[in-house]
Amino acid sequence: MNYEKEKRYIIPFDDVPSPRAEMPEITVDERRGNFVEVETGFPEDMAQTEAKRCLSCRRCLGCALCWAECKPEAINFDIPDEDLDLEFDEVVITRGQENTFQAFNTDLGYGSYADVITDLQFERMLSPTGPTDGIVVSPLDGEVPARLAIVQGNADGDEEHLLSSLVLGVNEAIIALDRTEGLEVSLISPVCQSFKDQFLADAQKVAGLNIIEGAPETAEKKKDGDSLTLTFSENGNSREENFDMVVALTKPEVSSEIKSLSRKLEQDII
Amino acid sequence: MEEKKVLIVGGGLEGVGAALEKAEEGAKVTIVEKFPTLGAERIPRDRLIKPDDAFINPDLDKVRNDDNVSILTYSDIKKINKDNGKVQAHILKRSLRVDNSKCNDCKACIKVCPVNMFDDFDEGFSFRTAVDYFNPATGEYNIFKEDMPVCQRTCPVNLDIRTYAGQIADGKYLESLATIRDRLPLPGSIGRVCPHPCETACNRQYLDEPISICFLKRFVADVELEKEIEPVYETPEKKFSEKIAIIGAGPSGLTCAYDLARLGYEDITIYEALPVPGGYLWVGIPEYRLPKKLLQREVDLIANMGIDIQYNKRVGKDISFDDLRKDNDAVFIGAGCHRGLKLRVPGEDEYEGKGIVDCVTFLRDQALGNPIEVKGKLIVIGGGNAAIDSARVGWRMGFDEVYILYRRTKKEMPANPWEIDAAEHEGVIMQYLAAPIEILGKDGKVAGMKCIKMELGEPDASGRRRPVPIEGSEYVIDAETIVPAISQGADLEFLGEDHGFEINRWNTFDIDEETGATNVPGMFAGGDVVTGPNIAIQAVAAGKKAASGIHEYLRNK
Repeated sequence: MNYEKEKRYIIPFDDVPSPRAEMPEITVDERRGNFVEVETGFPEDMAQTEAKRCLSCRRCLGCALCWAECKPEAINFDIPDEDLDLEFDEVVITRGQENTFQAFNTDLGYGSYADVITDLQFERMLSPTGPTDGIVVSPLDGEVPARLAIVQGNADGDEEHLLSSLVLGVNEAIIALDRTEGLEVSLISPVCQSFKDQFLADAQKVAGLNIIEGAPETAEKKKDGDSLTLTFSENGNSREENFDMVVALTKPEVSSEIKSLSRKLEQDII
Repeated sequence: MEEKKVLIVGGGLEGVGAALEKAEEGAKVTIVEKFPTLGAERIPRDRLIKPDDAFINPDLDKVRNDDNVSILTYSDIKKINKDNGKVQAHILKRSLRVDNSKCNDCKACIKVCPVNMFDDFDEGFSFRTAVDYFNPATGEYNIFKEDMPVCQRTCPVNLDIRTYAGQIADGKYLESLATIRDRLPLPGSIGRVCPHPCETACNRQYLDEPISICFLKRFVADVELEKEIEPVYETPEKKFSEKIAIIGAGPSGLTCAYDLARLGYEDITIYEALPVPGGYLWVGIPEYRLPKKLLQREVDLIANMGIDIQYNKRVGKDISFDDLRKDNDAVFIGAGCHRGLKLRVPGEDEYEGKGIVDCVTFLRDQALGNPIEVKGKLIVIGGGNAAIDSARVGWRMGFDEVYILYRRTKKEMPANPWEIDAAEHEGVIMQYLAAPIEILGKDGKVAGMKCIKMELGEPDASGRRRPVPIEGSEYVIDAETIVPAISQGADLEFLGEDHGFEINRWNTFDIDEETGATNVPGMFAGGDVVTGPNIAIQAVAAGKKAASGIHEYLRNK
């Protein structure tokens, strides 16, 4: 095998951070009373700089540095893809490992505050092989939280969604409490009958976990640097409490790929 | 008796469980999983756990050691068909490029890999290299090479963005343009007007800000113009003689024609109701965003492939749809959404044409060179891009004052935020949280509009908070011209009666998503006439799908 190391624009990342190119425009006065094009286009140097900002994601560049470093010679770029034609009598379609979820209550601040995360992100954080080796820390500042809220993102979800997300929420709380000294967890969500029948009694026995039957409304910071103020309803009353971190329970979304497969084979997804 | 063969799609928790169940029943099971490893190590959602047993899944070892289960990871189902109770599947198993039996887990490869990308397995909490042990719990290495980057996957036509951006970085502008044209025949136009979902997805935003992808596309298209290069779009030598009719020279119709010509079809006619090409690109997007000259040139390049564009030929009026159907082997309907929807308030019908004109007509008349009379103030109602375009056009036409009335706030406005900013910047007066309740008139003409202030209540089905009127807050704006820009609908009257098409409750076509085929054989549809008002690149994508759908249909006929 012989690979030439090709020098590409991606190496090294010496331009991070750098702002994106702003499109030049004619002034407002120049626009009045005419239909001249407002945006005038990038000059060449600007286009080049901007193009070089591309990270060329998900691309092995073929630089072969890994191949050169690999002492046991396990890396082999020539292992080919395989095309297989197979015949089956039956197909089972599952939702697979795609971790997409439906949009949920935007007022909970997911995407705006770094310390509001999803249950899927929290699951990775809790995993011993995950990005934090299983330690619960706030993605905002790396601090270990003292007060954590797990809240329902889809408060008007159906019984099936509430049941599975509540079980996941309690399980995540169990692991987080075991890993984190002095942690208090509040689980705030509407509670469905099937959860009450099967799991509520056991969940209430978990030390450090407080289950609040209600609907989370908003999470916000009164000012920069504050902890999160969570507003939620409980028995028809509105309440406010502060938390160091908020985890939103999400409703899984099946990928369009799997959906179209299910349509094509006229078969449900399990 | 032969063993039953079962295909399990997806190697997650459910897939692994199902595989074991079927294997126990004595079947030969194959799991196909698109990621490089099975991923059954998840927190259960059906039982409460002890702190330590969450990430341990005994099923995973069982399924790996079961002789009746074969596991195809890092694999995609490329084609699947059900026939006579049997399922035929064509599966691509990608190479890991690593012989894991030799790997000693030293991680030296990871230390030297220069690629740094957002790690979706860790839900964005970390970055990874192109060398990866996708799921560390299993310890299998692979070199991730073939998947589409997130920008390309997000782009409706899957433009190879990293390649064309790379070519610009290397100074190869015309090669970059060729890369774009391989999938998109309108780079200069789309490079100006696209709301670029690719940039919203761009991984660079996690480091600082996303790449300005859309304008890079425009840049290379402009380079060609500047250098006065007139390219010739090649068509293959092998020709097909079938007759194909396309209704509408908008982005979907033009792209469909382009792709069909590139496949070798030489008898393609586009029937266009207007005297100009481009559909909404010409009569909806104003000149100051997309110069007509430039659009015309891009259309000419497509027409030069031997495509006959017949202007002023409205199907249903100048030529009957039934004739079109009879005389052609396949028809693509890309008629768009050119009917402005009504406000449904008192006074609207009374003053129609006397100061009240819908945004589609307003923009079209201006674009075709016969704008309405400019007098007094203009009110535009709505929050989408058509509303902003109407207001910015009105401002340029010289109305004394231009208002945009929108019933929610700026945050909820569906228009592109940079367009809203530009309108404000140019002096358009934004009235958020306000809705029209009556059109007022004097001497048979529009004289103003009665409005009411709104406040935001509970979220509705779309997740946006529903605006509710504040009682007693009515007020009047004087204006001679009112342009409703609520939304646009399709006009399907050209089909005639007894057309046999399945039309849904949004008055658009129901089609097969993969091929663009309608329920009527040989009849295809795409673009706004299927999706309702949508972005141009989505229509381009629909035109592409239909072109390959038509090709498949005609070749298998």
